[in-house]
Amino acid sequence: MGDESIMYSLDQGTTKTYQIPIGHLDYKFIEKCTDVQHLEKILRVLRSGEEGCYPDLTLFCEKRIEHLAPGSRVLRKDKPAATAADFTAEEWETINGELMSWVAEMNEDDNKPEFLKTGTLHEGQDNLPPIRCSSSCLPAFQNEKFQNKQRNKKNIPRDYSEWDKFDVEKECSKIDESSEENNSKARFVSRPPPPLIEKQVNTTGMTKKEKIFIATREKEKGNEAFASGDYVEAVTYYARSISILPTAAAYNNKAQAEIKLQDWDSALQDCEKVLDMEPSNVKEIVLPVRGEAALGKAEMGNAQRKFHSKGGGSKLEDRGTQKQKESTESGLKKGTEEKKSQKTDHEGEANGYLNSNQTSESPEAGQSSRSHGAGSLSAGAAHSTSLPPAAAKLKSEGNELFKSGQFGEAVPKYSEAIEYVISVGERSPDDLSILYSNRAACYLKGGNCSDCVQDCNRALELQPFSLKPLLRRAMAYESMERYRQAYVDYKTVLQIDSSIQAANDSVNRITKTLIDQDGSSWREKLPPIPVVPIAAQLNRWDGGNFTSEVKPKSPTDINKEEQLQMNREKGEEKFRTLKNEGNDFVKKGKYDEAVNKYSECLKLNTKDCTIYTNRALCYLKLHKYEEAKQDCDHVLQIEDCNIKAFYRRALAYKGLQIYQASVDDLKKVLLIDPNVLEAKKELEEITQLLSLGGVAVADCQQKQRKKITIQEVTDEQEEGQLETAEDVVADNLSSKEAVQKCVPSRTCEKLTISEPSNAYDFGQIVNAVNASKDQSACADLLTITDPKKLPVLLSNKLEGEIFLIFIQSLAHYILGKDPGLVYQHLFYLSKAERFKVVLALLSKNEKEQVQRLFDLLTENQNHQYSLEELDSLKKVYEL
Amino acid sequence: MSAAGLERPQVVVHAQQSLNYTVFDCKWVPRSARLLCLGSAPRGTGVLQLYELRGGRLLLLSEIEKAKPIKCATFGAASLQQRHLATGDFAGSLSIWNLEAPEIPVYSVKGHKEIINSIDGVGGLGIGEGAPEIVTGSRDGTVKVWDPRQKETPVANMEPAQGESKRDCWTVAFGNAYNQEERVVCAGYDNGDIKLFDLRTMSLRWETNIKNGVCSVEFDRKDVNMNKLVATSLEGKFHVFDMRTQHPTKGFASVSEKAHKSTIWQVRHLPQNRDVFMTSGGAGSLHLWKYEYPAQRSKKDSEGAEMGVAGSVSLLQNVTLSTQPISSLDWSPDKKGLCVCGAFDQTVRVLIVTKLNKV
Repeated sequence: MGDESIMYSLDQGTTKTYQIPIGHLDYKFIEKCTDVQHLEKILRVLRSGEEGCYPDLTLFCEKRIEHLAPGSRVLRKDKPAATAADFTAEEWETINGELMSWVAEMNEDDNKPEFLKTGTLHEGQDNLPPIRCSSSCLPAFQNEKFQNKQRNKKNIPRDYSEWDKFDVEKECSKIDESSEENNSKARFVSRPPPPLIEKQVNTTGMTKKEKIFIATREKEKGNEAFASGDYVEAVTYYARSISILPTAAAYNNKAQAEIKLQDWDSALQDCEKVLDMEPSNVKEIVLPVRGEAALGKAEMGNAQRKFHSKGGGSKLEDRGTQKQKESTESGLKKGTEEKKSQKTDHEGEANGYLNSNQTSESPEAGQSSRSHGAGSLSAGAAHSTSLPPAAAKLKSEGNELFKSGQFGEAVPKYSEAIEYVISVGERSPDDLSILYSNRAACYLKGGNCSDCVQDCNRALELQPFSLKPLLRRAMAYESMERYRQAYVDYKTVLQIDSSIQAANDSVNRITKTLIDQDGSSWREKLPPIPVVPIAAQLNRWDGGNFTSEVKPKSPTDINKEEQLQMNREKGEEKFRTLKNEGNDFVKKGKYDEAVNKYSECLKLNTKDCTIYTNRALCYLKLHKYEEAKQDCDHVLQIEDCNIKAFYRRALAYKGLQIYQASVDDLKKVLLIDPNVLEAKKELEEITQLLSLGGVAVADCQQKQRKKITIQEVTDEQEEGQLETAEDVVADNLSSKEAVQKCVPSRTCEKLTISEPSNAYDFGQIVNAVNASKDQSACADLLTITDPKKLPVLLSNKLEGEIFLIFIQSLAHYILGKDPGLVYQHLFYLSKAERFKVVLALLSKNEKEQVQRLFDLLTENQNHQYSLEELDSLKKVYEL
Repeated sequence: MSAAGLERPQVVVHAQQSLNYTVFDCKWVPRSARLLCLGSAPRGTGVLQLYELRGGRLLLLSEIEKAKPIKCATFGAASLQQRHLATGDFAGSLSIWNLEAPEIPVYSVKGHKEIINSIDGVGGLGIGEGAPEIVTGSRDGTVKVWDPRQKETPVANMEPAQGESKRDCWTVAFGNAYNQEERVVCAGYDNGDIKLFDLRTMSLRWETNIKNGVCSVEFDRKDVNMNKLVATSLEGKFHVFDMRTQHPTKGFASVSEKAHKSTIWQVRHLPQNRDVFMTSGGAGSLHLWKYEYPAQRSKKDSEGAEMGVAGSVSLLQNVTLSTQPISSLDWSPDKKGLCVCGAFDQTVRVLIVTKLNKV
């Protein structure tokens, strides 16, 4: 400002407050000024009006300040509360709808006796801590604090009952503290001890609602701690939340906090839990976390554990880096630079891992290990007679650990069991073989391939040609890049059971690798492949004497995760075809068959929501509302905001005449996506139904209803009216949902009776007609509609599609019967709102259709209209 | 409205109800869509009204009249099942009411010689570990902690020594109740004193003066290792103290903000997010704030002692609802963003604050 400001002040003087040169109250100055404080002063002067009132300049100044310092305090203005006008209609609806549903929910809860049950009232109080010892008095003011120290305790003598609660240690500690305090004369008494927050919450006597409430609260505390960067505390609170009520969200958050704390193992475990609990949200939420955890863990030197990826290429890479890392790690303890370079490597690798194996490996990890564990368990049970009880116990413990993914911990259990069995001397080769085989699985999981191979060897010595150890050894060899041995083992496995897809795939993969490595003569370098005796192959099938590792009868039960995976891939294909078949049936309207197909699909994969929603649709069509509801419920358990499931469940509820629930579901639909017109319509209807007091309809088969005014019907016929109307809607709905499906002829018949009385009814019918592309119905509609009313009825709802179906039905159905009516309709159609817009947006093909209609009109010209009139109308239609 | 404006939380008046008495406090009944308003009727009696939120309106469910005007109330020490209300009145009595049978209090004690200005509870509603306790702050200068299981006498009493001038205690709050033993009470006085009493060690842990009368104090959460404390003052400022790190001499780090042009009567933290809080001003305005943590919450001073680092506060939204002071404010513990406020224009308003998820 310097000279300039002086100059101004000389010229024009200054303002009274702040002494700002008058010249600064100027657009140019304000525009250039960057001193926010100065600008704020200017603004205050301008606002005060002491130098006159300049609204524009004030506004300009405000904008300038906002530009420079958006958080400036002078910009804060008194504002009235927001009103509906400040929101879009949807937002407003959402805000109110959400609150209304919450209020309804609360009132419902209140009416339930559960929450206010007097019986449980005092249960909770049993575990309350005692009343604070002694009435203590504390001086409120610092200066008399010490002189009053003695007063603290004397205030009121303890009565006898209080002595019962006297906590000696506490009192002692109190005395200690006060003496310490007196010694130190510190102003504040003692440093707060590190927070001791219990990791468990006592939930005795709590109702479910309370548990949910408190668990949510603890989780929120965790979130807040996380937000403020206190990850230890966050983990504690998540753990508390989980101790009250385990939720996937809490586990997931906990995992994230653990990652921040670099506690990779726990993070991974928590991720696995999330996957177990909510396999459906795998991709979006858990995988990134899990990947990160795995990545971190990899850095810690356990890379192998989680990197048994099956994507050929990435696997090789993977192993390369693993090797590199192993060497570096054995050599030096993580030099920082080394670590960094590794990290980048692993990053790429982990990404590859995530991308290539997302669908196949990751979501399954939990499952496969579980089923594996289960298999082993059953094995244990079956052979418990031959296994000494102590060993059996150890083994089942090991299985449990394995099941929960604690492979490292499972190893010693198995080892103990093995030692025990050997020391007892009871040579039961079957059991010992299983134990070795199980331990091998642990080693394999833990990435300890050489031990795995050793154990497999022992198992195979005891039980030659048993399937699992062979497969495991093959995998271990493959991991160790000893492809030839792996190849041989896989081949052996295939001799025993050629249906093991995993082995087949691996053989193919290894063949390729070996060809790359050894050229065309690779076979010559292979060790000999043992010939499996027929007995073993037979054993494989009758299973009884054989180790129970292999379940007879169902090869799919072989609890090799590889196997499972490959089966899964195969299953996926089958699943897809089944699903497509089901969809085709739906399109054809063969809902029974579709249901069968979908049910088969579900046998293959119980987690796919779309199958459930599709099947629910079929059930709806078949009027099996209860089943439909169950399917939807199931989906909603997996995926709590599946819009289709909500919508279909609403329809099912409607069918079951549980209107309130139906309304609730529809509201949820609209909450998720306020643009679902069908749901809005349904909601209107059902609310109407609700308000009607649920006029019972005699015919239970026809539960879907909708109110369409039908003019001819009198009061006495009300029952019938409702029914007919229902049919229309039921079919309209179905036609909406399955567009390709041909509309039952009923629709047309029914539609003819309902002459629209107002724009809304007309719109409803037109929408239905349009959705089903039913030209004959449309023609009927147009026949009974007075052309003069068309612009009114269409109101502003004319759209390209509607226009087109009008043209088509006029051309195909009405023209032959009554060209005059066609002309009239065309004439009044051109008077409708939005006509010009629609016309302008017609495609060439569509224009041709209009042209054709006009040509036909010209051909069929009669007394009802003249050619001149037609020509002028043609111009209106821009032809 | 600009796009940025739409992203900010908005305050909507969902329902309002004018009353024929002066409302001092309003509270949501936990786990319900009902709320309580209490205050002083023109003829000098106490009024307690129970309303239910229904279809965008407040429906009066019941009204109880008591001999003395009621100043403040809390559900904080009640179990989720019982939901007993603790009130403090003009005569200095602390009473606990069963709202199902409000004729006789389930607990009553003449705790103070003069009006109870402020009350707070902990240990109930699943909030805070340990025994259920109620703290009352009174014009007689004392702050007393009560256990509903012990009749007649307080379990702790914080009072000025004999001969000392008594300061009017305007506000009290519990905090630090993260396990069974720990618990603190914070009290604010008319001379600007803020005192932090540690109930475990029965000692004064910290005190400071913010120069102007302390109208309201609140911990961001009662049931965590004390994290933040907000204190509002008579002249329209509020102070946010970071309570994690206490420096031997400097105490707690704080940031202050001049928000309203008049007294800030109340501060209330969002129960679902401790870093968001609302202040209510003397000119009928409400300000919604968010506290941002600094990159490092503590640092070492020259002598190596840990000292806290204050963050910053940013204004999320402000609205003016009335010309009269908004004296009470309460967030619904169950529905995020739902809040009730009572103003001296004898009106109680139910507000919805939108988009708190995106804060």
